[in-house]
Amino acid sequence: MNLRKVRIIYFKEMLETLRDRRTLISTILIPILLFPILMFGMSAVVVTMMEKTEAEATRVAMIGEEFAHSFVFTFLEGDDFQKVEVEDFESALKEKEIHAALEFPSGFEEKLTLGENSEATIYYDAAELRSSIAAEKLFDKLEHYQDSLVAERLRDRGVERSLLQPIKINEENLASQEKMGGFMLGMFLPYMIVILAMVGAMYPAIDLTAGEKERGTLETILVTPVSRLDIATGKFLTVLTASLITILLSTASMSLSASLGFAQMSQFSSEQVPFIIKPLPIILLLLLMLPLAALFSSALLSVSLFAKSYKEAQSYVSPLMFVVILPAMINFIPGIELNWGLAFVPIVNISLAAREVLLGTFRWEFIGLIFVSTFIYASLSIFVTKQLFEKEDVLFRT
Amino acid sequence: MIATSNLTKIFQDKKRGEIRAVDSVNIECKPGRVFGLLGLNGAGKTTLMRVLSTTLKPTSGNAKVAGYDVISQPEKVKEKIGFLSSDTGLYHRLTAEETVSYFGRLNGMEQNILKKRVDEIFERFDMNEFRKRRVDKLSTGMKQKISIARTFINDPEVLILDEPTIGLDVVTSRGIIQFIKKSKQADKCILFSTHVMWEAQKLCDDIAIIHKGKIWEVGTLEQLRARTGLNDLDDIFVKIVGE
Repeated sequence: MNLRKVRIIYFKEMLETLRDRRTLISTILIPILLFPILMFGMSAVVVTMMEKTEAEATRVAMIGEEFAHSFVFTFLEGDDFQKVEVEDFESALKEKEIHAALEFPSGFEEKLTLGENSEATIYYDAAELRSSIAAEKLFDKLEHYQDSLVAERLRDRGVERSLLQPIKINEENLASQEKMGGFMLGMFLPYMIVILAMVGAMYPAIDLTAGEKERGTLETILVTPVSRLDIATGKFLTVLTASLITILLSTASMSLSASLGFAQMSQFSSEQVPFIIKPLPIILLLLLMLPLAALFSSALLSVSLFAKSYKEAQSYVSPLMFVVILPAMINFIPGIELNWGLAFVPIVNISLAAREVLLGTFRWEFIGLIFVSTFIYASLSIFVTKQLFEKEDVLFRT
Repeated sequence: MIATSNLTKIFQDKKRGEIRAVDSVNIECKPGRVFGLLGLNGAGKTTLMRVLSTTLKPTSGNAKVAGYDVISQPEKVKEKIGFLSSDTGLYHRLTAEETVSYFGRLNGMEQNILKKRVDEIFERFDMNEFRKRRVDKLSTGMKQKISIARTFINDPEVLILDEPTIGLDVVTSRGIIQFIKKSKQADKCILFSTHVMWEAQKLCDDIAIIHKGKIWEVGTLEQLRARTGLNDLDDIFVKIVGE
């Protein structure tokens, strides 16, 4: 290999790649903008929905209201409940005139005053979010009413209320702030980074091979005093650079927008979601992505070198995208942990390890093994790319 | 300068089986002369030129270009040749100057020598007007000039020109014809393929008629006339290939 010539080719390919609008969009613009848009778009939708829900009264139809005067008066009046008179509550629920209906049997309160038991039924539509919320609110109100009745009955019998609760249950979240941050990020970051590493490499790989065949520039370079190995190396390094730029930009963008986005959303959650990302997990994630980016770059180069035109290359690369997306989704399956077997499965191993690392668990033997195994896969893939660059029937495929 | 011995290139095609694109070709091109390769489309001209420029490896036989072996010294061969064809495109997103300099650097030229050479070539081909403009913004004629400049940057001893005028307008192809004539005066060895008879008649010192991968006849125009008893190269060509 002639390093000087590799460098000349690399710098020229980089210059050309940076002047390509398609590459600029997929390698630089998408990774920077995707996460803020997703994050702030999502949290904006959630915030608007919450605000709307809070502002709007819950419309409820009462059936047998006359049997539950004091409940309705004490618990529902003056609150954000709005009584709605309807003929047929089922169709009213379907038409969204009401969010829920509450039915009392005859003699509801009478029985309760006599110390007997009764029942109440909440009708709602579980497929409607607003209806489910209304049902939950009604359930809370009824339970509250029940509590006051129980307290009254116990008082009448001279029994202490604490008798019913011999154990006071305390709960405390011991996850560190770092782990809470990692939990949120651990699921999405590896998945997004793996896919974007592929997307970032895709257009340069197609452009530098099939695109060159189409424009006739591949033959121009083949008649210069440069070996095929030098050409392949220069192109490979260019595609790898594009992939690494995408990985760096998307990691930075996602970490930043995640911390801002969760902070915005947490004002509506009862639990505060503290969000801290430490540098070490991020550095490890980037290190693990390095051989994977090399694997993607060479695989994309091989596939698109085989194609005759830009279009043909795109149709070969699309199915390859699924081969990457499916294993990258491993973190969405609950309960799957990294083990010695999975550590050898490309993409799956890095996704699982990245989640662990972001959660603050460092199993170095796995991290080392995954790095080495992915490095070996990448080397094999690079070897295939090099072989294809030597093959006349691939280079001059018409 | 270019000498082939039983040069053969066979392709394996799934549908058509074995294709002998170049079949036991023996030709010799000398410096200061234009060697014309005349043939129909698909006669084997492009394959022969690709083998000589080392982008394809011969199946059997051998060839020497500028004294170097095409099989064992492909890099050396490529240092000595300038290759131009309608298939050799230019990088759309580079400027004229970037393109020419790039090929100079790939030919191993040092920065200071390269700079002087680029200046000289841009002056000579009258390209300074669009020196800093991107290739995709240029006309066909301007692009063709850049291609010639690219071919010429390392002052090659041997020029291999595969139908360089195909699809070009009159003015642009005249430019190329003039470039070939000047190169001949500069004692270059020029292998030139075409299927345009009058071009060959005007330019070539030696003419080889290639058909179905084989050379059917070689000689000067006068020798071909004498052998066939015909005057026009069109008639001579048709008589030789018999179609």
